[in-house]
Amino acid sequence: MQTIEVETPAALRCIETALSRAVKDIPALTPLLEAFGPLLTERARLRQTAPGWTGPALSIDAERFNQGAFVLAQTEFGGGFEDMSELLPEAARTLLPVMARSFPAIAEELTTLGAAIESGALTPQALAGAGFGESVEVPGVSPMTLNFAASELVRPFVERQAEDLAAMVKVLPWNQAHCPVCGGAPNMSVLRRKEDESEFIQAKGGQRFLRCSCCTTEWKHKRVSCPACGCEEPDELLNLRDPARAHERADACSRCKAFVLCLDTAELAELPDLDVAALTMLPLEIQTRQQGYKPLAEHPWSSL
Amino acid sequence: MPKAFLIDTSRCTACRGCQVACKEWKNFPAVPTKQHGTHQNPPDLTHYNFKLVRFSEHMENGTVHWNFFPDQCRHCIDAPCLAASAVPGAIIKDEATGAIIYTEKSKKEDFASIRSACPYDIPRKDPKTKRIVKCDMCIDRLQANLLPMCVKTCAMGAMNFGERSDMLKLAAKRLATVQQEFPKAQLLNMADVSVIYLVADAPATYHKFAVADASDSTNAPGMTRKEMLAGAFSPLRKIAQSLQG
Repeated sequence: MQTIEVETPAALRCIETALSRAVKDIPALTPLLEAFGPLLTERARLRQTAPGWTGPALSIDAERFNQGAFVLAQTEFGGGFEDMSELLPEAARTLLPVMARSFPAIAEELTTLGAAIESGALTPQALAGAGFGESVEVPGVSPMTLNFAASELVRPFVERQAEDLAAMVKVLPWNQAHCPVCGGAPNMSVLRRKEDESEFIQAKGGQRFLRCSCCTTEWKHKRVSCPACGCEEPDELLNLRDPARAHERADACSRCKAFVLCLDTAELAELPDLDVAALTMLPLEIQTRQQGYKPLAEHPWSSL
Repeated sequence: MPKAFLIDTSRCTACRGCQVACKEWKNFPAVPTKQHGTHQNPPDLTHYNFKLVRFSEHMENGTVHWNFFPDQCRHCIDAPCLAASAVPGAIIKDEATGAIIYTEKSKKEDFASIRSACPYDIPRKDPKTKRIVKCDMCIDRLQANLLPMCVKTCAMGAMNFGERSDMLKLAAKRLATVQQEFPKAQLLNMADVSVIYLVADAPATYHKFAVADASDSTNAPGMTRKEMLAGAFSPLRKIAQSLQG
């Protein structure tokens, strides 16, 4: 299992580098990158200062974990992340204006949402609930916009907590296709080359890591298998890709018609930020959907 | 952020995958060669061989030692060839990567001056195009965020590439490991080059130009003999170039 280290300016540079490279490589995606880029950067900044898991060290039952009971399913207090609602109003002050600039079509609703948070019409607890999919109503804000904004607000805190939680179980085996921390489904995968100290010929392919759509925890997973149905028949597993961008592919299963995006980093000089990488794979994602496949989990931009 | 290679010769098995991959990527043809009593082939760098695995045998206490040295441009941090250049724009440094690149304009350079400025004897001249040529760090691949071809190909983990700071850390780690078995192990000209070699034995047992031969403590501080000479003759060459058009 692997998690992103505590955010540093290097992580922000990584996002900016990946964005500028993507704009240069795929000019057609510039509007999309310019819309989501500032959001990803601001989220990374918030993650950098987020408190992480402040509760007691969890007592994980290794046997249950091995059978698929993820970390938050083993907590005593309800199976969720720690309450971050107190931190959300401050986060909203920085993130909502960025989102308003990036998404002019919903800027008015975001301004209304910001005002509701400031006035107390929308409590931080209700806002956090909306971030986790609860139905909350704010006059003048559509449910879709509220859900989008709230989930983006809670995400940096969730990711930072997940980082600490994943560290608690990093030595335990995990063979499942759902997230070992929160149980979320993967919306991205990455092949990473393993540093090999041996004196023998080294594998070039890299190990496969799935990435959680909810908390971005990464965990190692069997490479030739469908994370949705477990199919391991090579004839039924497909790699869909654009030959011009061979390191980006959609790993699809013709048996269950599911797919997950995959970034093959074996040949890359620099590892791009994975959110930016997923953003640049949107055309591939759309083409894969058009061929009748469905993603295991979506990105915020998947429905565009 | 400047890039760097770490070429860990203690891992190299002389498979020549890097040498062949370099030629393949650059689409270079085969070159006439000859057997001169060694597996090293071709005998030296050419205008179609920017990378060459050098084979060096030597006897030590009745035992034959066979050292392998994947030779290439070091992409010097303060490149003497760049200092020696008399044609503006013929030899440039890519600031993003640190790669030293010879351009189309290099055909107007004085080849002898450029070659003699190199402490590692790397530059070669293409007789057809008249250009001076050498490894360009696969700048076309790097700009597409792809590893240099030799690094991608290396099956033994001898060729490593990344941020210079990361490569320096890896170099120190590997040196400590290799020194446990080979006390003479060392990193070659680490502070001066972007292609850092880790050798397990004395550099001379690998290749005549494994380390820079131009260091000279009698020169001005921070300047090698070749840089000093290159600097001194550069204005004269520029005048000669301008007269020749």
